[in-house]
Formats: sequence, C-alpha cells, structure tokens
Amino acid sequence: MSETGVLERERRTAPAAALRCEGITKAFQGVHAVNGAAFDVPAEQITALIGPNGAGKTTLVNILSGAMTSDSGREFIGETEVTNWPSYKIARLGLFRTFQLSRELGRLTVLENLLVAPAEQAGDSLVNVLFRPALIRRQERAHAERALDVLDVYGLYRHRDTLARELSGGQKKLLEIARAVMASPTILLLDEPMAGVNPALIDLIGGYIVDLKERGVTVLMVEHNLNVVEQICDYVIVLAEGRTLATGRLSELRENTEVVKAYLGEVIDAGAAH
Amino acid sequence: MVYYVFTLVFFCFDYFILAMGLNIQYGETGILNFAYIGFVAIGAYFTGVFSLHNPAGTGQHYILGLGLPFPLNLLLGGLATMVFALIVALITLRRLRTDYLAIVLISLSLVLYDFCNNFVSLFNGADGLYNVPEPFAKALGLDVNSFIPFFACVTAVISLLMWFVMSRVTRAPIGRTFRAIRDDEVVAAALGKNVFGMRLKSMLIGSFYAGIGGGLLIQFGGSFNPTAWLPGETFVVFAVVIVGGAGNNIGMFVGALLVETLLIHLPAFLPEIPGHPGLIEYFDNAVVGVVLMVMLWVRPQGVVPARLRRAASFGVSPRSDVEPDLNLAVPAHE
Amino acid sequence: MQLFWLSVGFGFVTASVLAIAAVGLSLQFGITNYVNFAYGDFMALGGFFAYVLNNQVFHLNIWIALVVGSLGIGVFAVLVNRLILGPFARRFSTSHYVLIVTFGLSLIMLNAAYSIWGAQVRFYNMPIPTAFTVGPLRFTKNQLIVIAIAITLMLAVHTMLRATRLGKSMRAMADNTTLAMTSGIDTKRITTITWFLSGTLAGVAGTVLGISEGNLTPASGELFLFVIFAAVILGGIGSIYGAIGGAILIGLATEISAAFINPAYKLDIAFVILILTLLVRPSGLIARPGTT
Repeated sequence: MSETGVLERERRTAPAAALRCEGITKAFQGVHAVNGAAFDVPAEQITALIGPNGAGKTTLVNILSGAMTSDSGREFIGETEVTNWPSYKIARLGLFRTFQLSRELGRLTVLENLLVAPAEQAGDSLVNVLFRPALIRRQERAHAERALDVLDVYGLYRHRDTLARELSGGQKKLLEIARAVMASPTILLLDEPMAGVNPALIDLIGGYIVDLKERGVTVLMVEHNLNVVEQICDYVIVLAEGRTLATGRLSELRENTEVVKAYLGEVIDAGAAH
Repeated sequence: MVYYVFTLVFFCFDYFILAMGLNIQYGETGILNFAYIGFVAIGAYFTGVFSLHNPAGTGQHYILGLGLPFPLNLLLGGLATMVFALIVALITLRRLRTDYLAIVLISLSLVLYDFCNNFVSLFNGADGLYNVPEPFAKALGLDVNSFIPFFACVTAVISLLMWFVMSRVTRAPIGRTFRAIRDDEVVAAALGKNVFGMRLKSMLIGSFYAGIGGGLLIQFGGSFNPTAWLPGETFVVFAVVIVGGAGNNIGMFVGALLVETLLIHLPAFLPEIPGHPGLIEYFDNAVVGVVLMVMLWVRPQGVVPARLRRAASFGVSPRSDVEPDLNLAVPAHE
Repeated sequence: MQLFWLSVGFGFVTASVLAIAAVGLSLQFGITNYVNFAYGDFMALGGFFAYVLNNQVFHLNIWIALVVGSLGIGVFAVLVNRLILGPFARRFSTSHYVLIVTFGLSLIMLNAAYSIWGAQVRFYNMPIPTAFTVGPLRFTKNQLIVIAIAITLMLAVHTMLRATRLGKSMRAMADNTTLAMTSGIDTKRITTITWFLSGTLAGVAGTVLGISEGNLTPASGELFLFVIFAAVILGGIGSIYGAIGGAILIGLATEISAAFINPAYKLDIAFVILILTLLVRPSGLIARPGTT
C-alpha cells in the first residue's frame, strides 16, 4: 500500500465546518419532509444524524448530496455555496454518499464498480481514447492497483471479478462503502450504513468508518442504532419533523427533554443499557 | 449469382456498422433510441446530396448538390447526422426518462418520415434520391455489376476500421462510464459523472456510425427513398443488436449475419408468390419480430454475450488472495 | 372565414377520434405502467375487423361492424397480454425490455395485416353522407355519429371510473399497484378488464379513423400514433381527463393549422406541440402526482 494509504490524498487542514446548511425546506405535494433544517458538520469528525422515523433524514441526505433540490435554504461546502447544485458537481468537490438500500452497478464487476469512482479519468474523454491510449492504460493500471488494495481492506478482493448483482446483501453494503472510499472523499454522507447488517459486520464497518475519520474524512452518518452512535460518533444532530431539534454530544442530548420526547423512550432505553 | 452473394456481404458489413452505432447508444448506455433508422436516413440523404451535382436538369429536387468525391461525401454525411443528433439530444435527452424518451423518439421517426415524404424540395420526396454516383466506378472502369463486389469489399474494410475504433471506446473508461449510467444513473451522478454530457457523447458517437452506415447504403444502391426506412426498420437494427448480443461488438457482427443477411436478404432468393406481391417480405419481417421475442425470452444476453472484464486485463501485479480479518476491533471511543 | 369554421368542424372530428384512442392508451398505461407501442396497430386491426364484417364477409352495417369488430380487438388485446406482454412484464423488472417487445409486436401485427390484406387502400361500405349544419359548422351525418360515439364513450368511461367499484379499483391500481393488491383488489382481473377496454377503444378509434379519413391501410394506425402520444403528453401522462383535453386541443390545432399551412403537414403540428410541451411544461396540463 502506498504511503498515503487507500485515500491517496494528502491530509489537508480543513475549515471548522466542512459542511453547513441553513433553512432547508422541502415539501412533497404539500407535505413538508424537511422544514427548516440547519446545522454545521464539524470537519474531520464523525457526526451522527439521528431522529425518529419520518424526520426527513434521508431526504436531507438527498438534498445535501444534490440528488434532490430543496425548496429553500442554502448549503455550503467549506466556503463554497453549493445550494441546489446537481449531484455530480457536488461529488467533484469531494462530497460522496452511500444509499440506504445499497445500489450496486449490477452488470459491472466489483472491481469495475470501484473504477467508476476516481475523479481523474482521462479515459472519459473521447479524444484521449482515440489519441492517447498509453496515458489511459497507465492511469487505469494505477487506479486498478489502488482499487484492489481497497477491496483487500474491505474483504472483497476474491470477488473482484464477480458481477456486483451476484453479491450477498452484506457484501453489497461493503461494496457501497468501498466505492465511496475509492473516490477519495473529503466529506462522506452515509445513509444508515448499519441497516440490516449482522452484528459482526457492524463492528467491522464501524472500524472502517473510524479509520476514515483518522485519515481526515468528515463523516455524516444517518443512524438509528444508538449503540453505534455512542461508540464511534463525536457529535450528534437530532432531526425531528423536518427541523433541527438539537445538536451536541450524545450524553448531553440524553438530558434534553425535547429530544427524549421526540424519541418516546428510545433514548432512555439505550441509556439504561449502559 | 455471385453478385447476389456479394450483395449479402455488403448488407452484412453495413448492418455491422449500424449495429455498433445502436449498441453504443442502447447496449452500452441504455438509451432506447427508437428513432435510429431516422438517423440512418439522414446519413444516407446527406451523403446523397453531397455526392450528387446541381439538381438543375436532373428531374430531381434536393438541397445542396455539391458533387463531392468519396470519401469526403461519406464523412460529411456522418457529420451531418451527428449535428442532427446533437439538436435532437439537446431538446429531448436532458429532461426525459427512458420510456418517455422512447415515445418522443418514435414520434420523431414518424414525423421525419412524413416530412421527407412530403417536402419534395428537401430530398426529392417520395421518389427519393437516385442516380447517386458510385464511388470510383468511373476511375476503375466498373459497370453496374462489377461495382457490387468492389463496394462490398470497401464496406467490409470500413466496417473493420470502425470496429477497431469502437472496441477501443468500449474497452476504455468511457465505455465503463456509459455502462454505469445504464445500470444506475443516480449512482453514476453521485460518483461525479455528468450523466447528460456522457449520454450526449454516446448519442453522437452512435449517430456517426448510423450516418456512415446510411451513407454506404445510398452509395451502394445508387438510390434511397422513404420505403427504405419505415420506422419499423429501427426494430430490425434492435433485433440485430439483441440477437447478436448487446454490449459485445463481435456480437454485432454475428447479429448482422444472422438477422440481416440470413433472415432478411436470403429469402429474397425465393420466387414471388403469384397474386401476393411482397408476401414473402411481409412474412419475413414478422418472423424477425418473433425471433427477437423468442431471443429475449430464452437468451436475453444474445448469441455472443457481453465480455466479463477481469482484473487481470488492467495489467495489475498479481497478488495472493487475502482472507478478511473479521476480528477487527472497534477502537475505544475517546 | 368559412374555411376556418370548416376546419373547426374537422377539428372536432379529429378530436373525437383522438379522444377515444388517447383514453384507451391512458387506461392501459395507468395500470401497466408501460406504453404499448403496438397501439396504432391495434387500431388498424380494429379498422380491418370492421372492414371484414362490413365489406368482405358479412356486409353488416358499418356501425354494427364497428361494435362487433372493436369487441373482437378487446378480446385480442386480452390474449396478447395473457400470452406475451404480461409474462415479459412480470419477468423483467426493468421496463424497457417490455417496450422493445411492444415495438416488436407492432412489427408483427403490421406485417401480418399486410400479409392478409395487402398494402392497397380499403374502403368501408357506407351510404353517401348527407350534410348537416350546426351553427357556423358543417358536418356530414357520419362525422356527427363519430362525434356522438366519442362523447358517449367519454361519458361512459367517466361514469365507470367515478361511480363503479371497477372504476375505483382501476384508479387505485393506477395510483399504487402494491397498495391496491394488499387492499384486496383482484389486480389480475382488473388488468384483464383494462386490456379489454383499451383494446376495444383502440378498435373503435381505428374504425372511426377509417370512416373519417375515408380510407384504411394496415399502416393507418401506426402513422397516427405520434398524434395520440402528443395528446396524452399534452394532457399529462396518466390522466384520463388530461388525455381528453389534450385530444380536443390537438384535434383542433391540427385541423385549423391546415387552413394556414400545407395540409400535408397538419399532423406534424402535433409533434411540434409535443416538443413544446416537453420544453415548457413536461408534466402536461394535468399532472398526476408521482408520475414525473
């Protein structure tokens, strides 16, 4: 593995808030899914986005990553305003996301899935394909070597030539994260990375996420499993009824009556277990 | 007899080119271009008016009439098709999902057909263009018959060149990006791909192939009129692509051989049934439809399925299989 | 000015044909969620069934032939769905294979019709029409009957959708098939009935098209298909009432335009409207929620 490891990117000094949003609203046919969400996501930390079902978390992830447009509000990555930018432009700034139900590129191999991710692809240009095949060959080999390293770390190396649609559910989850990692993200939005995953795998994925943070990635993860939140998250944002209810560390939020009410006992149970 | 065999050879290689064009659009990128034959027709017509000389005195009506030599007329015909595709794509590709795009494109095909049939001053209306000069015929002293094997070979060579280029494209990252968009455009965009831009590229490349294929058609036959390109003809090209094997360029040749040559042109050997003109042709076309449906049901990947692209093909250094370490402990949270 | 009113009259006739066809297409699209590209050929086949009954075999009155022939197409549509389209739709979740199959079906039906009846133009056996005047508009008796058929069918469909259990089940399925299934709606039965209705309407549309155009060929329906698409998209995909509204607008627009431009291109106006709709208001006049 090369010096900078699987991320192939130098550790940058990041601004205090890597990702910021204010006043985000989004309604579907008159029903507000998001109704005034605003928060700062601190750089190079793992932040959890929690809240009861229907709080608008996935919609917010879609908006922040550019998959959906907001009705109002603003969004910033660092100092750049990216309000309602299309997802591919936001991705080019370094923000990548995973999906709640893993979306693999089914008819591509596992390795090819990863090879789609890196930003520099001279081979996407027709001119290069026709006139600079050697350059492309070199770049492809470099990307492929790194991709195989990533697959190795995520335990998918032996499936490198398998069609992605033939993987098991847990493997698809791992592929989803590996693919995002391959893109060398500065900010990573994870939409319920532990959903439907068996306990051994939860620990494994948790370890990967912490590893990413230590390499300088800012992580925002939507998560229902408060044990996981307690174990790996530095900071928590609580969303309820489409707006930011509270932010802070999990221990503080347990004392917050509004948060407790919103969860109707979930938080209390998780606290009692420790 | 020999001339007939070479006519079959010509159509086989010409449809090989057409299939490669539709394959990059549909097989690789997932664009249901139900107007494909319209693009072929544009290529044929433009190559025609680039080859023919001034319309005055010929009894035909058409635009341009530049009298350009081969291969310039052919290349410009291909370029004209790309320009047409650009306009169509800018209006339709950005906003429409697959099935609505298919509706618009098939409508475009019908309207284009209608328009070319009626607007005589464009491409001579229902009569179409004829007396299109045969390339090199004068220079090599070829007559109507000996031109056939000659041009069939020219077409074969052109198609092999175009195959070489297309293989490079589908093997390259651009091909992989096309396939990613086909499989899940939301994911492709989330990974930083400009989906509209890439789809546009795919349409343009495919339409160039359609234009060249069409240009070769008019130069081989010396004429081209609307009966050659009813919208249903798009379906024949789809049949070539799907039967041969969508996503595989060799499959495109196999499909062209099986569908275009064997199914469509070979039965023309059979004598006409008296009292029922065209019956064999109608029956034949219906059979193509049935064959495609059977193929989709029984073997949708086609005769030659898309190649699996293995890790080894990227020239990576070999390494031993490593088992994942499932005992990775979660570090204690500080 | 008289030319204008004459065009308006023709416009209502074309709108009638379009409305019947567009509603048939929309009903089926609402339930199956894919477009039947062979719809134009269903129409043409309907026109030919009526032709066989009217001018070849039985010499029935044209209007009786229309009814019988159209019901025949309804049955045919049910069979096609049972044997071909349904199985493909169930097997392939990505809809585009089914679209290719309907495109193939179109090719098969067109060439089958050519094989049986040949390419020559056919005419219905009908009495010479008498002219009627309605205000500034002038119609022949046949045209008035066509318009009357269209209005009757629209009212019947409207009543069925609003007032009957069948109609409510169809609307439920069109909104959300999975939910409809779990609510105890027999989706298989509703699908069969919908295909029957769609096929019958296609048959009626094809026959009245032949009547109003004065002639019939196997390709008549196919060449009309994009006008139907324009009406459905203008009205808003998935909305029956939108389809009717779109049909009226497109019918009037194409015929009135014929008074100003070369009549050979009047149908192409529908395509221009289609493109404009997509550029300006892609959801159509009546956008159904959840269909973008």
